[in-house]
Amino acid sequence: MIVAFAVAPVVLVTLLIGLRGVAAMRTTSDFLVASRRVSPLLNSAAVSGEYLSAASFLGVAGLVVKDGVGSLWYPVGFTAGYIAMLALVAAPMRRSGALTVPDFAEARLASPALRRLAAVVVLVIGALYLVPQFRTAGLVLSVVSGTPYWVGVAISGAAVSATLALGGMRAATYVQAFQFVFKLVLFIVPAIWLLIQAGPAVRDAAVHPVEFTQFDRDTEVVFRVGATLDVPGGAEVVEAGGSRRALPEGEWQVPAGATVEFAEGSRVPTLRGEIPPGGSGWERPLLNLHDEGHPLLGTWAVLIATMLGTMGLPHVIMRFHTSPDGRAARRTAALTVGLLGIFYLFPGIYGVLGRVLVPHLYLSRATDSAVVALPAQVDDGTVGSLFTGLLTAGAFAAFLATSLGLLLVVSGAISHDLVPGGLRQLRVAVVGAAVTVVLLALPAARFDAGTLVTWGFTVAASTFCPLLVLGIWWSRLTAPGALAGVAAGLVSSAGAFLVTVADPPVHGWLAILLVQPAPWSVPLAFAVMVVVSLFGRPKPWATAAMLRLHLHEHRSSPFADRSGGGRDLGHSSWSARRSSAVRRITRRLVR
Amino acid sequence: MSTQRRVAVTSPQTRLAHARRRYRGPWRPTTLDPAEAPRAFALYRVQLRNAVLALVLLCTLLVGLPLLLAALPQLDRLRLLGIPVSWLAIVVVPFPAMVLLAFWHLRRVEQAEDRE
Repeated sequence: MIVAFAVAPVVLVTLLIGLRGVAAMRTTSDFLVASRRVSPLLNSAAVSGEYLSAASFLGVAGLVVKDGVGSLWYPVGFTAGYIAMLALVAAPMRRSGALTVPDFAEARLASPALRRLAAVVVLVIGALYLVPQFRTAGLVLSVVSGTPYWVGVAISGAAVSATLALGGMRAATYVQAFQFVFKLVLFIVPAIWLLIQAGPAVRDAAVHPVEFTQFDRDTEVVFRVGATLDVPGGAEVVEAGGSRRALPEGEWQVPAGATVEFAEGSRVPTLRGEIPPGGSGWERPLLNLHDEGHPLLGTWAVLIATMLGTMGLPHVIMRFHTSPDGRAARRTAALTVGLLGIFYLFPGIYGVLGRVLVPHLYLSRATDSAVVALPAQVDDGTVGSLFTGLLTAGAFAAFLATSLGLLLVVSGAISHDLVPGGLRQLRVAVVGAAVTVVLLALPAARFDAGTLVTWGFTVAASTFCPLLVLGIWWSRLTAPGALAGVAAGLVSSAGAFLVTVADPPVHGWLAILLVQPAPWSVPLAFAVMVVVSLFGRPKPWATAAMLRLHLHEHRSSPFADRSGGGRDLGHSSWSARRSSAVRRITRRLVR
Repeated sequence: MSTQRRVAVTSPQTRLAHARRRYRGPWRPTTLDPAEAPRAFALYRVQLRNAVLALVLLCTLLVGLPLLLAALPQLDRLRLLGIPVSWLAIVVVPFPAMVLLAFWHLRRVEQAEDRE
């Protein structure tokens, strides 16, 4: 019931605003001009709306419950990325006229091979970013409504494909701007309500973390994935009839799909390989990745990945293009830092309250659902259900905004860059990509949204970040150099993840650099790009192509006054044509 | 019911325009007016300096704050309004600092552009 009441309005309102946006756009003289007149404030709200995914809305709080206060470094990195974007990428990227990174690669270096490689990287990043969105949506739906995990994932996939097919989402910037305000309100208001409603005892417990060793009340735990628990003496479960039964001490394999009700006062089993919430090191403000020690290295590794990865996220770069010029794109990036800063003040509240009220979620690896599980713990009446509904709606809005943007970029990469084709192929690509992501998300229930999304950031940081930074600021970059660097970054970062999934027996700093390879894969990609470029010779027009990106549009030309306004003075005729081709495909798809 | 096929009714001009726009032309190198090249180069130099300065400040924050928190574990026990200072330090310090940095940098690069 909650699901229907919470999720349906989000989808409907998004669809309505989107359709209205399409109609509004068609009445103006030109869709292109209209969308390039988006003001920096509106555009930055749209950027934030698209950027705040399920990983931000739910994942950060979940990671705080599971791993500790140090997880609050993730949002710092997510926000810091926009300063790097502002300083290095925003304005020149907008002036290049390139809508996507593959476009930019071709515009700056004239290499179709690099364009195709960049499109492959877009697919990898898209998959790593989309899978956790779908997984989290499935998890949340299954938590609030009790449906199996796969049903939630399938519903989410259907909702996204249908919304994209019917159009709307991409058509107007204010859909995403609306989504941002919506998410902000739905995140802040419940946080304040929870803080007030929780009472002084819970608030006090929240800031005095103790290890989760005993159940305060009868607690039901639903194991969506199997788990290996170490049961201490004194652990009891409540049988179906209400009688208590002591658990045998030692290892306990809980099968997937089992529901176990632990008794009040029972000791808490520990999940093998994890430190329980509130355990030693939980309260430290540093990131102890996989409890391998070296928290400083772990913190810096995550900061490097998230900060540099933001620059290369394909769906974010696309958004900057709706600004009228490079200057507005830069202002958009600066305002985005402020808007994200407001939002990210709050995940910590959910995290520390979740550690007190719903620590048992860690047993079933479902800490990502801590945010939506909280209101029911504080108030089991109508108000509690209302806030659960609101938070579910916000989470679904987060999921919807990010997935729609990403799915569009992914299918654009398939049918525009890899196998050029018409509109029908683009539509097929959308559905195909959605189905693929759903299939990938089904076995991904055991991964945290935060971890997977950070992998997406890492791949972006080790491929697109060097390509964009050197492409914009270094005239000696050559196409073979860029190709080699992007390939090296992709192979090293993706390779490290494959090795991590295989769970090799390494520990200490080596394990951290394997889980979070950004500290070595990003410098490696930069180095390969520079060295290979230095062996080659840049094209004669390379310096002009680079300097052009730094020349701002509103120059004192005698023609500027007459032809200003909607026209793009900063564009060569080529890039204007190129970007309008991409735009046309975007517009066609959302019709 | 007739089984006649539906045909698109379009002006020949429209059809022509559609056909033309689908055409992907050959790549042409970017052009830069030689008269503007010195100005563009000067702007590039200034903006590169600005960008590097902003990034150095950002990295100081992101490298320094974890280092500070690792070096001073007693901040975990120090409390402000009941909340450990080290928890506040990763929420209340970085975000305002980054907002300030962003707007300071924005002002500098826009001034540089206006001067040129």
